[in-house]
Amino acid sequence: MTALRLVLAAAGIALGVLAYRVQIDNLGPLTSSTQALAIVAVGWAFLGAGLIAWARRPGNRLGPLLTAAGFALLARQFRYSHDPLAFTVFFTLSELSYGLAAHSVLAYPSGHVRGRAEQLLVRVGYASVLVFPLAILLVYDGTERLRFMDPRPHENLLLVWENGSLAVTLQRIFVVWVWGVLASIFIALVLRRLVRATPRARRLLAPLCLAAVVFALRAVYEGIFAFVDRPSAVVDDVLFWWQIAGFMALPIALVAGMLRARLARANVGELVLELERTPPEGVRDALARALADPALEVGFWLPERLEYVDGRGRPLVLPGEDDDRAVTHLDHDGEPVAVIVHDASLVDEPELLLASGAAARLALENARLHADMRAQLLEVQESRVRIVQAADEERRRIERDLHDGAQQRLVALALQLRSAQRELGHTADPEVDRLLAEAVDELQVAVEELRELARGVHPAILTEDGLAAALESLTSRAPIPVALDVSEGRLPAQVEATAYFVACEALANVVKHAQASKATVSAHRRNGVLIVEVEDDGVGGAHAENGSGLRGLADRVEALGGRFVVESPTGGGTHVVGEIPCGS
Amino acid sequence: MRVVIAEDSVLLREGLARLLAESGMEVAARVGNADALHHAVHRERPDVVVVDVRMPPTQTDEGARAAREIRERHPEVAILVLSQVVEAKHALELFSERPEGFGYLLKDRVLEVDDFLESVRRVANGGTAMDPEVVAQLFGRRRAPDPLEELTPREREVLGLMAEGFSNAGICKKLFLSPKTVETHVHSIFGKLGLPPAPDDHRRVLAVLAYLRQS
Repeated sequence: MTALRLVLAAAGIALGVLAYRVQIDNLGPLTSSTQALAIVAVGWAFLGAGLIAWARRPGNRLGPLLTAAGFALLARQFRYSHDPLAFTVFFTLSELSYGLAAHSVLAYPSGHVRGRAEQLLVRVGYASVLVFPLAILLVYDGTERLRFMDPRPHENLLLVWENGSLAVTLQRIFVVWVWGVLASIFIALVLRRLVRATPRARRLLAPLCLAAVVFALRAVYEGIFAFVDRPSAVVDDVLFWWQIAGFMALPIALVAGMLRARLARANVGELVLELERTPPEGVRDALARALADPALEVGFWLPERLEYVDGRGRPLVLPGEDDDRAVTHLDHDGEPVAVIVHDASLVDEPELLLASGAAARLALENARLHADMRAQLLEVQESRVRIVQAADEERRRIERDLHDGAQQRLVALALQLRSAQRELGHTADPEVDRLLAEAVDELQVAVEELRELARGVHPAILTEDGLAAALESLTSRAPIPVALDVSEGRLPAQVEATAYFVACEALANVVKHAQASKATVSAHRRNGVLIVEVEDDGVGGAHAENGSGLRGLADRVEALGGRFVVESPTGGGTHVVGEIPCGS
Repeated sequence: MRVVIAEDSVLLREGLARLLAESGMEVAARVGNADALHHAVHRERPDVVVVDVRMPPTQTDEGARAAREIRERHPEVAILVLSQVVEAKHALELFSERPEGFGYLLKDRVLEVDDFLESVRRVANGGTAMDPEVVAQLFGRRRAPDPLEELTPREREVLGLMAEGFSNAGICKKLFLSPKTVETHVHSIFGKLGLPPAPDDHRRVLAVLAYLRQS
């Protein structure tokens, strides 16, 4: 392959020298050596860019395409030749270079033309640039001067019907159609692609698109002024250099795009160094920087779950086929390690992706273990919440059973005994009467205790009327004055229950240990968090760790993803705060 | 005096029926759920209904709901609601500004038979019976500044009994005081709390409860 490219390079240089000679020999005063050289330079630029692209991306069609465009541009100059065969062949092929150049732009960077409109334009363009010159030659008899040609008539081997004016008309139609209409459509498609591109792809496309628009605008100008007399020599000069500039910019923009990829490769080197000192959760950010894709995501394979999770342990949904996002799988010894979900434009730079992936593999392996741990942690958190919910449900059931079962039976039993006592009346042995009265009293105490027990397990009013009513009931039963400040409105059951038990337990501690004269209880929602607070003016010195029931509350609050804080300086009262996430 | 009993525990229902019958009341019907209660009230037009808050099928507040409906449809029927737990909030909701012929008591109050029968009669005669536990809860609410602090212990006792629904005569009997002393206390309480004097017992209960419920 390298040999082929060397041969092509040598042939291109030789062809350029000949093209220069053909121009000088045949155009005489119509051109200058500078202008002739500029045209050859453009051809060489395409050729050079094409061969570089070919060497860098052997599998990409863009290299051969650009190389062909370079050859076509140089060969185009041979239409000035007065050798009949050379003129006939190279005039016919003279416009092909424009088709190849436009095709290269539309095929950048993958080598494939994407989009229906783009593909149609390329086909129509190729047909137009081949058919029109051929049609012109069929009637061109040398009597009329064709545009962009020297005034000396050329002998034409394809002539079948001598009609010079028809040849000129055909050429005008060609100019309007190809340089006016098709070039305008080309500009529109290039701009549309730029607008629709993802930010990353846009940065890569912008220079080429700018060059393509400069190049095509020059053609559109020609298409519009095709029927106007040739402008002055100065304007002529300007138009020439505009054309050269637009043409020259195309391969330069392309080489610039390649150099960017090279620069990005330098990023891979930095990536390797950076990853050495990056904590596992920073791997995604490092890759995003190296690949210049801020939206990049990394998914880690969890073999026991058979799914990919992100750095936080949450399942990662891989994008579908038609997305702007594409997926690159990174494997090790045939086992999946991770996926990179990235901008689809990165698919055009597979080496960069794979190099980055290889550089990041060790760090990714490490991060995968980290993500695995996070995923397990997430599961544990979820199961903690489920345990709290199950415990609440069980408490509610016990409360109902106590009321509807034991308590109910004891009251009925006591009532029976009371009836018996009354039935016997004064006829009874005073001892029996006393025994019955004592039994009823005992049962009454038992019922009272059961009621308190049930309230402690799970107060019915909490289920039926919510946190505000339950706290109201709780504080109005307290043996010391308790000020209550609570917002109305229902919250998820486990949130209400947790907040209630925080207040209940903290208030019980106030009564038992704090020697306080008064206390306040408040519960308010702020930014999706329910904040429940109990404060007293007692002796302080309470700790969440000293087995006062506060530890259990802390566990409960933390199980729901909240925070539990006890501030209790000796002699400074106690302040218990529970912050419980409660959704909206 | 005709009574309808609604209570799902058979043992308790029969015990209640026996108690009321022995005291000379006529037990017109005994039912175990809210639907049967509505039918019985419609058919029997009792003077008073004794109803359990929790009944089948959901065991939550069928009895309370039935009580509210009966009060709306048959305002002449007095209602005594029994519950395993009493909450001031529920009491005030059930009263809904109309304490005449209404009672709300803990279930185990039936064991103090004479007091209970007295409550049933008071309610049946258009009076009020509020559970002392509810009154204690209303007292326990924190107000700032708290005018209840101004009351003497005896006055607080009298205020509690007024809230439970006792008339001056009832308070005399309960506290072993002379009618004149009770009247002095009542007058003093109304003065300290800034309440206008109430002409009858119904409005007095209402005024006292309205005063206690605001926090």
